[in-house]
Amino acid sequence: MARKSKNKKPILYPVVFMIVIAAVFTTALASLNAVTIDLVETQEAVKNQRSILYVFGQDVPEGLEEVQTSFEALVTEETIKEISYYVATENDEIIGYAFPFQGSGLWGTIWGYVAITPDFSEIIGVDFIKHAETPGLGGRISEQWYRDQFRGIRIEEDMGDIIIYRPSSGGNADAITGATLTSNAVRNMINDQLQELLDEVKGDI
Amino acid sequence: MAAKTKKIFTLGVWKDNPVYRQILGICSALAVTNLMLNSLVMGVGLIFVTSLSSFTVSLLRNHTPKHIRMMVQTLIISGYVIIVDIFLKAYLPSMSEALGPYVGLIITNCIIMGRAEAFAQFNTPIPSFFDGMANGIGYALVLLFIAFFRELLGFGSLFGFNILGPNWVSWTLMIMPPGAFFMLAIVIWITKRYLPGDEEKKGGATA
Repeated sequence: MARKSKNKKPILYPVVFMIVIAAVFTTALASLNAVTIDLVETQEAVKNQRSILYVFGQDVPEGLEEVQTSFEALVTEETIKEISYYVATENDEIIGYAFPFQGSGLWGTIWGYVAITPDFSEIIGVDFIKHAETPGLGGRISEQWYRDQFRGIRIEEDMGDIIIYRPSSGGNADAITGATLTSNAVRNMINDQLQELLDEVKGDI
Repeated sequence: MAAKTKKIFTLGVWKDNPVYRQILGICSALAVTNLMLNSLVMGVGLIFVTSLSSFTVSLLRNHTPKHIRMMVQTLIISGYVIIVDIFLKAYLPSMSEALGPYVGLIITNCIIMGRAEAFAQFNTPIPSFFDGMANGIGYALVLLFIAFFRELLGFGSLFGFNILGPNWVSWTLMIMPPGAFFMLAIVIWITKRYLPGDEEKKGGATA
């Protein structure tokens, strides 16, 4: 009997010990989370706001509060047919609408915003907020020169493709060298979705 | 005390470097070394987690029942990793995005558990803290060394500043996963060749 109990591992102490230490750590992390949750959410929101300001062709300020202030001054969020979009108004004049879009890239989903003029005739800007493309290759879609080329691209009724890569005839943008699949994915997602979106909302906005 | 601390640091950073000597933490060393900045943040995160978790494990070592010590260590390590994760999300959101899942994966970084098991179990809190820190620094230095070549050759820049000029043709291979394998292998090869450890010295004497 004595030998048996010697070999037996204690149960109560390890359990209590584990519960206590887990409680201590959980409490510490929960309070840290509670303290920072607002900031984390603000960061997320500001990231989107930065992107929306960019697609509207506005200057994007550095600081968190500056971004929020200029976003609130310029942009309002609206919903139509369950599509939520953003309207930019300057001096009581609408300067454009921005729509979120998403589609599959080479490695994962690409999320972004595209802004168009109020008469639906021109792209104001395109930006990507989240993607998982290869760094240095497809990942270059977030570089300024690539995003900037979509500014001012014409959209016409029944024109077929909106974005065409050079050197194809009628080309209006450059693809990224070594990242053909990502470049094509971006082109296709904007071409397909923008046209569809415009047909959907045109009469109603 | 000072001599002991010095020994801990030489071992951790140099002689028993976790990456090229113990071959630990390879996964993240391959994944985040395409940019200097990513490597630096990852290194700092790891230094923070290894030193504090070694400290805590050592602090609790006499009260922790031996057969559940792994569970306790994992709990402690994940606690600190989550702190790093929350910190990055709140204050360095772009960094948090660039490092992606690798911050969370610090939990499974063998260096931390390795130090907790091999050192913090048997030593007092302060040396354990330094041991964790030394190994974290060793890891960070190797990462920065690899990232130096990968970013320089792959992007022509360092810490995002263009160094090699606009005419530099980037070696795209360097920023893709194979580049990491090549660089890491070269690092391990060079260190094996030119930094003979104790084992090799003994082996050489008898042969």
